[in-house]
Order: sequence, then structure tokens, then C-alpha cells
Amino acid sequence: MLKQLTSPFKYKRFDLNKNDQRSKNNQKVGLKEGLRTIIKIWRYLSEKKGQFFLVLLMVLISSALALLGPYLIGTTIDEYIVTQDSNGLVFLLGGLVLVFVFHSLSLFLQNFWMIGISQFTVNEMRSDLFQHLHRLPISFFDKRQHGELMSRVTNDIENVSSTLNSSVIQIFSSLLTLIGTITVMLLLSPMLTAITLLIIPLMVIGMKWITKRTGQLFKYQQKNLGELNGYIEEAISGQKMIKAYSQEDRILKEFIVKGEELRNSGFWAQTISGFIPKVMNMLNNLSFAVIACIGGLFALNGLVTIGVIVIFAEYARQFTRPLNDLANQFNTLLSAIAGAERVFDILEEDIEKDNQSRDDESIDIKGEVVFENVSFSYEEGEDRQTIEHVSFHASPGEIIALVGPTGAGKTTLINLITRFYDADDGRIVIDGIDIHDIGRDTLRKQMAFVLQDTFLFQGTVMENIRYGRLNATDEEVIEAAKLANADSFIQKLPNGYDTLIHHDGNGISHGQKQLLAIARAMLANPKILVLDEATSSIDTITELVIQEALLRLMKGRTTFVIAHRLNTIQNADQIIVLKDGKIIEKGTHNELIEKKEFYYDMQAQHAAIH
Amino acid sequence: MRKLGSILHPYRISVMIALFLMLIELTVELLHPLLMAKIIDDGILKEDMHMVVVWGGIMVALSLLAFASGMINSFYAAHVSQGFGFDLRKQIFVKIQSFTFEKLSKFPAASLITRMTNDITQLQNTLFMGLRIMLRAPLLVIGSVILSFFVNAQIAMIFAVLVPCLIIMLVWMMGKGSRLFQNVQSKLDQVNDVLRENLIGMRLIKAYVRRDHEIKRFKTSSRTLKEKTIKALRMIETSMPVLLFIMNMGILFILWIGQAQITSGNVQVGEVVAIVNYGLRTTSALSMFSFIIMFLSRSRASASRILEVLDTEVDVRDKGETAGISGGKIAFEDVSFFYPGTKEPVLKEISFTVNEGETVAVMGGTGSGKSSLFQLIPRLYEASSGTIYIDDRPIDSLDLTFLRNQIGLVPQEAVLFSGEIENNIAWGNNTASYEQIIEAAKAAQIHETIEKLPKKYKTKIGQKGVNLSGGQKQRLSVARALVRKPKILLLDDSTSALDVKTEKRLLDALKNYSCTTLLITQKISTARQADKILLLDDGKLVAEGNHQELLKNSSLYQKISQSQMKGEMANVKAVN
Repeated sequence: MLKQLTSPFKYKRFDLNKNDQRSKNNQKVGLKEGLRTIIKIWRYLSEKKGQFFLVLLMVLISSALALLGPYLIGTTIDEYIVTQDSNGLVFLLGGLVLVFVFHSLSLFLQNFWMIGISQFTVNEMRSDLFQHLHRLPISFFDKRQHGELMSRVTNDIENVSSTLNSSVIQIFSSLLTLIGTITVMLLLSPMLTAITLLIIPLMVIGMKWITKRTGQLFKYQQKNLGELNGYIEEAISGQKMIKAYSQEDRILKEFIVKGEELRNSGFWAQTISGFIPKVMNMLNNLSFAVIACIGGLFALNGLVTIGVIVIFAEYARQFTRPLNDLANQFNTLLSAIAGAERVFDILEEDIEKDNQSRDDESIDIKGEVVFENVSFSYEEGEDRQTIEHVSFHASPGEIIALVGPTGAGKTTLINLITRFYDADDGRIVIDGIDIHDIGRDTLRKQMAFVLQDTFLFQGTVMENIRYGRLNATDEEVIEAAKLANADSFIQKLPNGYDTLIHHDGNGISHGQKQLLAIARAMLANPKILVLDEATSSIDTITELVIQEALLRLMKGRTTFVIAHRLNTIQNADQIIVLKDGKIIEKGTHNELIEKKEFYYDMQAQHAAIH
Repeated sequence: MRKLGSILHPYRISVMIALFLMLIELTVELLHPLLMAKIIDDGILKEDMHMVVVWGGIMVALSLLAFASGMINSFYAAHVSQGFGFDLRKQIFVKIQSFTFEKLSKFPAASLITRMTNDITQLQNTLFMGLRIMLRAPLLVIGSVILSFFVNAQIAMIFAVLVPCLIIMLVWMMGKGSRLFQNVQSKLDQVNDVLRENLIGMRLIKAYVRRDHEIKRFKTSSRTLKEKTIKALRMIETSMPVLLFIMNMGILFILWIGQAQITSGNVQVGEVVAIVNYGLRTTSALSMFSFIIMFLSRSRASASRILEVLDTEVDVRDKGETAGISGGKIAFEDVSFFYPGTKEPVLKEISFTVNEGETVAVMGGTGSGKSSLFQLIPRLYEASSGTIYIDDRPIDSLDLTFLRNQIGLVPQEAVLFSGEIENNIAWGNNTASYEQIIEAAKAAQIHETIEKLPKKYKTKIGQKGVNLSGGQKQRLSVARALVRKPKILLLDDSTSALDVKTEKRLLDALKNYSCTTLLITQKISTARQADKILLLDDGKLVAEGNHQELLKNSSLYQKISQSQMKGEMANVKAVN
């Protein structure tokens, strides 16, 4: 019981200054940074500028009417009820009905339009984020967790959404009411007004203390939420392994650690934000008491009439409400800014550099690929490069086999040809043009791939194969599937070609996925074909069957094949042997056998095992 | 709903304190006008400064009380809301992990993720608001109505009619709203799903230049989400102007009636003024209501989505035996299997025995059921019929965790988690010492590669281990299985990306591990080294025996051998 009483006070204190060095934007949450973010949001909003100003107009009208209502009621009471003048009463009541009708109408319109505007803005931000992600280099994705990125689209944008929906209107309406009431107060008694306004500096100090903390705390909360999201995604994706290894408890433990971090930052963010209305209320009440006292003094000394004080008190009360609202809204704004910043962080990531000078559909690549002294490594500062001084020449239509021990750099070479990564040193030339001068899209459109990670998209089998060439007809798709020897197993699926598969692809074996990927490649009409371990999971009988089709596919196209199986590589025009990132041998199968060096050794081992 | 309530239970004391503190604040706020009246009536109007100061002082004191209550309330409310969120998340996570694959397939991954973060956050926020201020508006309204009855019951009757009408309207809106918000959340799921798919398949999308196609797809989902959100929000926001209007008309009515009553002398002006005052307060409290309804309907939608997961029945796992596996003898007896939701059996009446310590190769055409067979052994899926025995014990009599701890599974597609290499390997065995990790890495032929990395075993690998080559990932997965020192090792085509030399070294190293090894392979050269080969075709076991026997007796095996010999012959010719 005692534990329950004290546990809210046992949360780990947050050292806001300590954690700062990790964030690359080591900017404190200053007014400047917040304003910058607001301006960025405004840019999206500004497309609906017209509607937005209409909304503000409505806010003006509704705020005015909101003040008018009570005023008229007061007048009604004073002039018609007290004096019992029923004719005037009907007249005024009629006026009041109109006021109320327009008040509600303007309220309705302001919200109606604002919701449309805010969701439009949010939708634009979402789309932009998605589009920008597609412009980022592969290296960006290799370093991030999927779930963490997903969190920016769901959780972070949600913050922006909920703020735009209501806060904007609230802020304006509060501001207007504030201006309105201060004006009235000034008219009633400038002196008392001055005293009332004395609380503002106190308020500012209080707010500053609070928002300095909440600004940071909201950022951490969103960051922790993103990390938790990332972890959950991985855990769900990896359930098979987790179950097979009975690692549920371990995974749960790590989940709890991340959940605790979120709980901690969330706790402080919520608690300290919660102080705002309390501080405001306190200051309000204080100020009222002060006004009462000083007002009383003034009244006693004839400086002010009692009636004025009473009305003033009423308006002072009216004054403090919008002030409170503003303070609260300011805090909500901070939360939105924290979310928006995480979105803009991605939007400001450098996109893949693409000279695009020749991103021209009419470029007809013949398929001559030349590597001139190319070097590359994934991480900077690694003492050994993944690829070092690699040079070779592939004529159009040649079949090049890349062989070598695992980790020698074969897939890396492919990554460079496809421009998933760019070489650090040296040149890659295609048809005499430096690969940097060919737009990535143009290059890839003329290539077809079967990569190590076969990936199927949510859709039918037909759609998945058609991904190779979006305008292919159904017959062409089926033809390609037959060539890849996939047709027979597809026919056995519950709905044949119309069977829906999800990217987790249950119900289709790994080898079958590869056959689908091969069908996809066959459907495309590439100038350069890349097969990275394309048949590694396929049994050798099937492989023989599709061998012919594969060979036909490779004919006339420059093909890069990575394989370990002999039958796949011995038909190559050129075999490039890679070891530790360097080319150690080059030549045809016969030439290399005769050399009796590394390649020969490899094959001898192979034969020995036979 | 009760489930959610039970999660709140441990926090009940904090909840009560928070509510109590809120009541104090509220009471002070309700007393405010009275105190104001006192200051004015007894102090200013009577020109009694002393009274002004006295009542002013009381007001200040009460304000301080409210302030203190408010600040402390913040702590308790946040504690409850964050604690609730944390506990709920944990419960859902545990639930998800207990799902079989069949159950898991009912919920798309993206939807589970949204439920665990976004939906829970909605509930959290509502809870926080509820304990702090959400009750304020309703209580103010109730308080005002009650107080107005004390002033003049007759006129106050109007409230008695008005307020219930408003409440009914609000409840109706909440119901409709939560249905609309459920739609919104499921559209959010879809957006999330498209995004996730894109992130996973980014390479392929770039390779096939399908960016525009995917962007179009995303934009469609996103637009639908926008439309549903607008619809839901607009419906709720419409409520306030309507309520306000009704309330305002009520006040007008009061004025009208009041005037009549004053004329007939039944009521005093001051009373009408007071009641109108309360009416105005109620009206101003109404603006909070649309806010509240919004929160409540969103929360109800989120709550039902969360309960959908929590309420899913999970088969209670009987506590099985936790002993009795020593050697790793495997026996399949008439085992058939088809994936849930499909009609074609993937395995048909398979029977075989593998003795302790044997190395058995499993071969077969693409899609013949090899991987599926593997999945049955650690009971990732349950056999549809027949029994599987380990050391003569049926595996469904064994405790699931115990069973799985005896097995080391290396799947076809390597799954590595974000983190250091050391952790990834140790993942196979939480109690492994550093030496054991290195031992396993050495046997898996990955030790040298790791040593060449900049941070060696402390090197971080990204999601799915993308900085490593395919073969390196495979070997890491093997190391992970080996560090477990399993009694049964299941290698699903785990050497497909390895070159011949490395593969041989790996298989040799495995000989030092005393375990029963089943390995799926396409290569005869590998299968040859096994004690026995199981040949599957279209889900059936068509041949069983060692290399020589199969070469003699199985036409399928002969075919496979020939297909690989073609390469072999050429090679032999060349070498000679």
C-alpha cells in the first residue's frame, strides 16, 4: 500500500543535458528551431491558404459571437427583466437566437474546413515522406530498423495530425478572445488592467521552465516510441527463429527494457506538461485576489466605482481562460513539433546522387561492362576494402561467372554494377559511358535480377511475375512461368495464378520462390542479366530442366552469374575468380583448369568430393 | 473490457488518489464564485477592506491547496497512464509470442505493430486526461445543475430536461464515432503494411524500378486514410455546435420563463440571474465535451482492436515432460501435414527412423516438403496426422520449451537480429561463455571472417544482417545453432551459399558434435557423406538408404545423380 503511494515519485530522473551529444542535431529545443519546424509545416498548409483564411474568419466571427452572447444576456437581464419590459425582451431574445444560430454555424464551418485542411496537410507530409524514402540510397536502409522508420509515418505524423485538427483553431480563438477582453478591460480601467497584466511575466517564467523540459521530453518520448516500434517489428518478423530457439523470454526481457525507457520519458513528459494548467490556475487566482484587494482599495478611495470592479472581475476571469488555453496549446504544439521534426529529419536526408544527365529512355544499352581499377568498401575506415583494384572487361552478350570463396566480394561487385552502391575509386563504364552519367533508373530498367533474397509482394502470383514487365499480357506471364518450370506448381495452388501471396510467402517453398523470381527475370527483356545464386535452393533436376531456358535467356545478354555449382559456371565465356576482394584469376573454364592454380584447386576439391 | 480493467487494478490506489485530488481542485473551483461573491458583497460593497483581505486570503489559501493537489495529481495520473500502457503492451507482446503460426497469420504484422503502439497510446492519453481533467467538465455541469436546483427548483427543471437529452446525444455520437475510428485505425494498418513491405523489399523495388508503382499504391492507401479520418473527425466535431445551440436555446427559454415568473412574483431577479449564470458555465464547459467524446470514441475503437488480440484463444500448452532426451533418435510414424488453410498435403504418410548420432541427408525436388518436415520436429507446426517420436517419446508429450532447447534449427533464409555478432551467436544459448561462442564460430567456419572485421565479435549488424554476404549469414546461423550444443541439428540447405572447400570443412567440424544431424541439401556430393539419405518426392518418402543403395534402387536418385554428374564428367575430363 505504501509502495503504491510512493511509486509515482520513484521514476528515474531525466538528465536532459547529458543525452544531448548523441543526436546529430545537437540543437536544444529553442524557439528558433521550433519556429523553423512550424514554417515547414506551414509550407504544406499554405496550399489551402484560401480555405485557411476562411477558417480564421470563422474563428473571428465565432469568438466575437461567443463574447456577444453573454453580453447580450447581461443586457437582457438588466434592461428587460429587471424592468419587466416584455416587448423589448422578445426583440432582444430574437436577436439572441440569431446570435446563437450564427455562432453555432460559424463554429461548425470553422471545424469542418479546418479538419479538411489539416488532414490534407498530414496526407501530403505522409506522401512526401514515402516518396523521399524511395530516393534514399540503400546504405540508408541498411543502417535502420524498419519499425523505427514506420513509426515516423504512424506515431510521429499522428502528433502533427491531432494538433492541426484542433490546436490551430484554439490558439487563434484564444488569442482573439484575449485581445477582446483586454480591450474591454482597458476601457473599464487601465489601472486595474495594468495590475492584471503583472502576472504575465510570472507566467512566462513558469512556462519557460516547463517547456524547456517538455520540449526535450517529447522528443525523447517519440524517439523511444520509434525504437520500441522497431523492436516489435523485428520480433514479429523473426517469430520463427524465436520459437525454434525458445527465446521468447529473452525477447520479452529486451522488450521490457525498451518499454521501460518509453514509460520513463512518457511519465516525465506527461507529468511536467500537466503542471501548466495548474500553474496557470494558481496565477489566475492569485491575480484575482490581488485585484479584489487593490480594487477594493481603489473603490474606498473613490478611484473606481464598485460596478466597474464587479464587471472587471468578470472580465478578468474571462481573460484568464484563454490565457490558460494558450499555455496548454503551446505545450501541445511542442509535442507536434517533436513529431514533425522526426518526419523532416528523413525528408532532409541526402538523396542518392544521380547525375541524371542522361536519364533518357532512348538510351539503348548494348551491354558492354568494363571495370577499371575499382575499389570499394561498405564502411569507411575499414583496413581491408571489400573490393580492391578490380578490373575486367565484359563484351555485350558475354556470360561472366563470378566465383570465389564466401565473402570474397561477389555480391558486392553486383551491387556496384546495379548502382546500389557507388565505387569509392576507379571507374565503371557501360557502353563507353561512365556509369555515373547514366541515370540509375535508366540503368536498372535495362537489367533483370534474380537476387539472393527472393522477395514476393502482396498480390497474386500473376502480379508477382508480371513485376518483371508491367505491360506483359497474361499469356506472356504464363509462358515465362513455364520456361522457369514454375507453371506446374502454380497450377497446384488453391487459385492457380490468382492465388494471393503475402511477402512472408507461406505455402510456397524457398525453391519455388526462386523459380518465380526466375520467371520474373525471363519476362523482362533485359540487356544485362544478374543472377546471384539464382538456383542455389533449386534441386539439380529442376535446374537442368530450366538450364536450357536460362541459357536461352542469357543469350545475347551480358550476364553476371554468381554460383557455386559447376554446371552453372562452366558455360561462362569468362570466369572471374575473386578472393579477399581481389581478382586472382580470369579466363574460360578450360584455360583456368590448365593453369592449375586456385580455380583448378577449387574444382579438384570438388572432384575429390565426388 | 474487463480485461482492460484488470490491468488497471494494480494502480487502483493511485487512481483513487488522483481522483480525490481532482475533486479537491474541482471543489475549490466551484467555491470560487461564492468566494468572489463574498469579496464583492461583504467586502467591496460594504467598503470593508478587512473582509476583502480575509476572504481574499481564504481564496489564496484555497488556491494554493488546489495548486498543490493539481501538481501531485499530475504525478499520479501520469504514473497510472504510463504504467497501464506498459503493462498492456507487455501483455499483448506475451500473447503474440504465444500464438502459433496459424493464429499469427490472422493478424498482419503491420496491424499488430499499430495496435501495440498507436492504439495503446490512444488509451494512455485518454486515461491521463480522464484522471486529470476529463471529469471536470461533466462534474461542473452536474454541480451547476444541482446548485441551480437549490436556487430555484422550478426554473431549474428546464435543466433536468435539457441535460439528459444532451447526454443521450453524446452517447449516440460516441457509439457512431468509435465505429468510424475503427475504420480509421484499420486504414492506418494498411498504410503501415504497404510501408513495411516497401522497406523490406527496397532492393527489389529499386532493381525493378518499380518506385512509381509503389508510390501510387501508397498514395492510394494514404488518401483513403485521409478520407476516413476526415469523416470520423467531422462527425464528432459537428456535435459541439449542435449541443451549444441547444444549450443556448435552453438559456433563452430560462430567460423567457424567468421573466414570466418574475412578473407573477414567483421568482426573484437574483435567482434568475444565478441560474442563467450556471447555465452559462455549463455552456462553456460544453466545449470540453466534444474533446471528450473524441477521445472516448477513439479509445473505444482502439480498445476493441486491442481486445481482439487479447481475446484470441490460445491453446493451453500442457506442461509436458522435461526430461528424457539423451541421444536424439528421431522417428516419424505415418506423418502427414498440410499448412493451415490449404488443402493439399505437403507431407504424405512419412515414416522413417534416424538413429542417435546419425547424419542423414534429406533430398528432394523443389517443393517436395523438405523444409516442412523440418518445421514439424520442433513443433513450429503440428503434424496433421501421425506421430513424431524423439528417443521413443512422442513429441507432443514433451514440454515445448524443453523440446526446442534440444534442437538447433538453421533455416534456409538466415534471420539475424540487430545487434552485435557476439549477441547474435549467443542468442542460441543465453548461458554460453565467450569461449563457447568462439568454439561454435570456429566450427561454423566463420571465426576467421569475424576476426577480420573492424570490431570483431562486437561488430554491429543491421536488421537482417545486411552488411554480411549470404554465405557469411548462413555460417553465422550455423554458429548460433551449434552454440546450443543441441541433440538434434537441423540444417536446412545451410551450405548452399558456401563454396565447396568451406562446406567440407564445416561438415567435418560437425563430426565433432555428438548430435543427430539432419541436413537438407541438393548436392549428391554432400549427401554421399551422410550415413543415410531420405529422398522425398511430392511429399512422399520414395527412398531411404545410403548413397550406394539409392544409386542402385532409386530411379529418381539416379536422375539426380546424373544431372550433377554431367558437370562432374566434364570436370573429371578436364582435370585429367
